[in-house]
Amino acid sequence: MESASATVGAGSEPGGKGLKADAIGYLTNLVISVASVAPAYSLAATLGFIVAIDGMGVHAPAVMVVSFIPMLLIAAAYYYMNRADPDCGTSFTWVTRAMGPQMGWLTGWAIVVADVVVMATLAYIAGKYTFLLFEWDSAAHSLLAVSIVAAIWIAVMTWICYVGIELSAATQRILLSVEVFTLAAFAIVALVKVYSGGAPAESLHIGLDWFSPFGLPGGSSALIDGVLLGVFIYWGWDSGVCVNEESTDSARGPGKAAVMSTILLVLIYVVVAASAQAFAGTEALTSHKNDVLANLGGPVLGSPLDKLLIITVLTSASASTQTTILPTARTTLSMARFGSIPSAFGKIHPRHLTPSVSTLAMGAVSLVWSLFIINVSQNVLGDSITGLGFQIAFYYGLTGFACAIYYRRELFRSARNFVMAGVVPFLGGAMLTYIFVKAFIDNAPVDSAYSGGVFGLGAADVIGVGLLVVGAVLLVFANFIYPRFFRRKLETAPPHFLEGGPTGPAVETVTPE
Amino acid sequence: MAEIVIGYDGSDCGRAALAEGVTLAKELGDKVRIVFGFAPGGAGGGEVPTQREAVHELGERITAEAAAKASEAGVDHEVEMLNEHAAHALVDVAREHDARMIVVGTHGESPLRGAILGSTAHRLVQIAERPVLIVHADGD
Repeated sequence: MESASATVGAGSEPGGKGLKADAIGYLTNLVISVASVAPAYSLAATLGFIVAIDGMGVHAPAVMVVSFIPMLLIAAAYYYMNRADPDCGTSFTWVTRAMGPQMGWLTGWAIVVADVVVMATLAYIAGKYTFLLFEWDSAAHSLLAVSIVAAIWIAVMTWICYVGIELSAATQRILLSVEVFTLAAFAIVALVKVYSGGAPAESLHIGLDWFSPFGLPGGSSALIDGVLLGVFIYWGWDSGVCVNEESTDSARGPGKAAVMSTILLVLIYVVVAASAQAFAGTEALTSHKNDVLANLGGPVLGSPLDKLLIITVLTSASASTQTTILPTARTTLSMARFGSIPSAFGKIHPRHLTPSVSTLAMGAVSLVWSLFIINVSQNVLGDSITGLGFQIAFYYGLTGFACAIYYRRELFRSARNFVMAGVVPFLGGAMLTYIFVKAFIDNAPVDSAYSGGVFGLGAADVIGVGLLVVGAVLLVFANFIYPRFFRRKLETAPPHFLEGGPTGPAVETVTPE
Repeated sequence: MAEIVIGYDGSDCGRAALAEGVTLAKELGDKVRIVFGFAPGGAGGGEVPTQREAVHELGERITAEAAAKASEAGVDHEVEMLNEHAAHALVDVAREHDARMIVVGTHGESPLRGAILGSTAHRLVQIAERPVLIVHADGD
């Protein structure tokens, strides 16, 4: 089928907007990248669990740094794949082109599954923190009450995506500024109280060993388990990569924003983790792992500023929910247009211009999954986020390999090509593969999981890897149903592409079936 | 020949605008320029280009219908599809062709609802540099 992307109108023509527009595009990409990662929500969901890992000791801030390394390496893969063709989509399309339809299909599956699994944690946090905002503690601890708010939350968010309501870039900038400001205020006040004697007796002074990935009481196993959770907190910056329209230099701007946003994020995470741990000590963080920021807000910031922290977690979670539903709907839209899943997922709403069936399906599946896991799991956040880590490691890892494979014939043309488009993305992929395997082994025992196990495996392994295996089974069926898609040929970067001009797609059009 | 720019998206709003715009163009001896604008998701992520393509295909189908209606009425016409939010697309096209006016439809949303749902008419009256004609979709 002929693609329509060749006829995009004058409004998107690059070069016509000048430097100022470029700067705005860059800032917008940066804001969207960071906002999609949702630092306040990510911290609320994971900080307690990272500290709570057996044998973690005081090394949680080090985990924040180490987790950042594979993500930065994969950022290079995003940068180069995005440069090859700003119009070619993301992981699903890239892996399909570079590594073939089988791997591509599994990548698409992993993205969708990860996004469904994360919805349970988002909805759970939304439910719990909503009640904590109004200091209604009994409701915050009631599964039924949290389930009701979680269901409403998912329904409303799905509707927003379906209708296509979007926050303007300016609103997003304000929300993100409030988020960063609140987290910074939290960190500063916590540290001042620690060093002026205003903190609880369990407070600790920051030590250099906090930032060292070596010497954990639990050794490398504890570190890897932490990194699997840590991978989750950086998840989502790829959103910024994909927002091309507003940057005049669309082939390079978004990738740069992805790299910058990762650096900004690592700063936020390390500082907040260290100051929270200094203020409350490791035991308080462990015992309040499900509502860690809400619990610290009062003692650190006092009333009413502690409510600002809760509100920030909620707005951050809503931003994250939107940047979960929408991209997932687009991934299934893309898969449908490539002819690899039922064509109904390719439908566009005639008035709202959103992927209608994909969005509603995503909302419905998330709703069912969330209600199931909130009511079944002993610990929604703990097991789901560890499980998610596997899925994220899987498709980010494949994206890293896909980049090195796509550019393989260009790598020996210059040292820069070799390192940046080859070694770095490949290393990212290899690191994530290692983390995936090692963490799978560590999480295999039933007693390692918060919720026990299923089929003799720990719950996190079942959620994380079990759902990927389901995808592999479905892939076999898909091969029979969509033979045309699975006959697609592999593609490589055009010769001398990296030595060519800085702009211009390597491939002229996306070619869905 | 002066031009009248019409915002068209295939909805009843779009049809109301098209009908009014074509009638006016006929009386004034103007040409109509049918504009379909859409920028997918600022809130990022995922396969944005695919959505843009899918919408573009939809747009081609829809604007072809609109063009057929203009032909039927014997009005000179052109179609433009822009990868921009509708209101901005209309303003840009109107400027580029020095249009006499811009015609869009509305459901008559309240200002708040218009702002939340992103009503094109609502946005347009804030940013347009030339006359805007807003046509109510629910009749005369």
